[in-house]
Amino acid sequence: MKSLIISLAYFLESSQNYYKIKHTAFQLLEDPNYRYKKYFDFFMIFLVLSTIAIMIYEVNHKQLEILNDFEIFAIVIFIIEWLGRLWTVTHMHKQIITDYEKAQFLNQPYRLNRSIRKILKQKFKFIISPMSIIDLLAILPTYRPLRILRILMIFRLFKLLRYTSSINEFRRVFVEKRFEFFTLGLLFFIAVVFGSTIIFIFEGAGVNENIHTYFDAVYWSVITITTVGFGDISPVSTPGRIATLFLVVGGMAVIAFFTSIVTTALQEKLQMIKEEKSVGEANAMRDFIVVCGFGRVGKVLAEQLDSVGEKFIVVDNDDKQFQDSKFLNYTTVKGDASSVSLLESLGVEDKAKAVIALSSSDSTNLAIILTARSLSAKVNIIARANSTQIEKKMYLAGANKVILTNDITALVASEYVGQPVAFDAIDDILLNDKHAVMEEVEILENSMFVGEALEKLNFDDFNLTLIGIVSKDEKDSFTFNPDKKSYEIKAKDILIVIGYNEAIIQFKSNILSRRTKIFKRVTNGKK
Amino acid sequence: MEKSRVIIYSYNHISEQIAQILTKRDYEILIIEDKEEHIEQAKEDGFKVLNLSLMEDDELEQIGLNDKSLKAFFCLNEDKNNNLFVTLSVRNFNKSIKIISLSSDVDNNKPLLLAGANKILNPYEISAFRIFRLLHKPYILDVLDNILFSKSDINIEEITVKKNSIFDGILLNELNKVKKGNIIILGIQDKEISEKFIFFSAGINHKIDEGDTLVLLGRPKELEKFKESIDHIV
Repeated sequence: MKSLIISLAYFLESSQNYYKIKHTAFQLLEDPNYRYKKYFDFFMIFLVLSTIAIMIYEVNHKQLEILNDFEIFAIVIFIIEWLGRLWTVTHMHKQIITDYEKAQFLNQPYRLNRSIRKILKQKFKFIISPMSIIDLLAILPTYRPLRILRILMIFRLFKLLRYTSSINEFRRVFVEKRFEFFTLGLLFFIAVVFGSTIIFIFEGAGVNENIHTYFDAVYWSVITITTVGFGDISPVSTPGRIATLFLVVGGMAVIAFFTSIVTTALQEKLQMIKEEKSVGEANAMRDFIVVCGFGRVGKVLAEQLDSVGEKFIVVDNDDKQFQDSKFLNYTTVKGDASSVSLLESLGVEDKAKAVIALSSSDSTNLAIILTARSLSAKVNIIARANSTQIEKKMYLAGANKVILTNDITALVASEYVGQPVAFDAIDDILLNDKHAVMEEVEILENSMFVGEALEKLNFDDFNLTLIGIVSKDEKDSFTFNPDKKSYEIKAKDILIVIGYNEAIIQFKSNILSRRTKIFKRVTNGKK
Repeated sequence: MEKSRVIIYSYNHISEQIAQILTKRDYEILIIEDKEEHIEQAKEDGFKVLNLSLMEDDELEQIGLNDKSLKAFFCLNEDKNNNLFVTLSVRNFNKSIKIISLSSDVDNNKPLLLAGANKILNPYEISAFRIFRLLHKPYILDVLDNILFSKSDINIEEITVKKNSIFDGILLNELNKVKKGNIIILGIQDKEISEKFIFFSAGINHKIDEGDTLVLLGRPKELEKFKESIDHIV
């Protein structure tokens, strides 16, 4: 028996399918970034709301069979969901394996019931967690003999909290402000006890026909303090009325205090929720570019990146620039881009493909480079610099490319003096996607053109001008206008061509489709 | 032949860079500046400086704006209003001079163009575009850099078609048959039609005639040979 369980645990550990299924279940239930979780959540919200609607309907209508069936269906789903959570919360087999291996290592006999006790402890911890209790309360009322517990159905509403992640933030507000709330609660408690005791002493003994018990007095004082004032119980004696006056004024203070605490706390929290949402969006992305600084350079860059559908995140500490970027609907995070924790939370370590440091201050950019490089050895880092001295330091810090704003401007300007037409032509190619574009066409490794002469590619048919070829194997060496008859195409060659957008797309797809044709022919031959 | 001249209004980091690059390309540089410390700096760097503010029209006459040898006027003041003013006065003085003006804000581009600038230099925009190209088309940027900024042996060159040259009157897509050597014809600008550049790859049967500017890519030697071959026939 023991060995059977151990081997089962090992089997589960090695089973890819088991892991996959469990992981998917976990993602569906708990991972807010999982793609399909929102559909699951919508479905569950629908179930909760519909069962509650049924409950309300049945208060003064006859029970319908179909509604009953639906309720049973919903309950089954709820139970499955709860069991799923119970299942995914911990890994039973892993516990068994670690305990077993530990016992093996220490050369002691393995005790299965010890592991089981540990597992049960973990599961029990989940069962008594608040969310699990809400789940259970939502399931419980269906049990017929406990029909009285029907009112607990309303607890299903709390289940909705499960399906909206930001609600946790609101819960945290209360935890963070607990000192204030505690003070407030104490004040409220004192006022209530004070007020109700006074009224009870002066009017409880038959003076006021509405106050019979101490509870009546407490009820009256809470209604008064909160400024609700139903008026079903009102003081009749002068001392009672004097007490009421004090209570009402004190009540106003308590209410004002309470409102201000809650409002400010929620406001602070809302800001944080918004920021966390951006970080959350960032987490869902891959291969994105982090643009640090939304100044004049950042704006133009973001616009360009956006126009070609490149994914990017803007990081800026300045309030106005942050708002500007938000306004343009870019994914924006407010914060200091040179902070390790921020870049880490964005996923620079493994998910970002490039970090661009565009602050106007050279030292800030240097700090960003260092931070980004310390997080990832392979991320592409490009920085802007204002002086030549800092350029070297930036390369030392790990930048892949440093752009000297003044130098590059001067180069462009001087080129324009010499050959304006040529320069405009090049500018046109680079900037204006409507006219001719310059494109990189990569020859894939398994392309049929590898080893063929360059003229096979028929540039003229597509009205393309070949400028040259970058060969990857020879350290990115560039061959200008190679002879079309004698040049032999190599794998990973990058052709630099100029032509119209559609023509280039055609050209690329032509290269690709020919490859597949060849591929088909080969497979046919095998048959 | 007289040396080509360039005037740079205001001396700062960008001016210094431009002046250095153009000096290497054998241009004669004249700096116009009215701030004492900048004048000192420019002199130290070895450039000819005139202490003028260019706020008065008679000052414009002193700097030889109508000389044939003057190739371009750079307006690089960091104050946008100064730049606008000087651009306008220079354009007023000389209708055909090439004016290149500095603008640090996209919003300023339009007024400067209206004032008569041929080309706007916006360092921020240029940097942003460069970074964008680095990310988007790194190989192309590299190739173009090599061609444009003369780091390699491949140059870009413009040739204006003269009357009776072998190109006069032939169609753009026949060019490849006529051309000799290892050069690429990128395209053509036809002065008569518009300022717009026609790419060779457009596939348009454009007739080349006198005054058109051809843009070529190639090694300096080949380009030289090509130019000679045209001139011979003339």
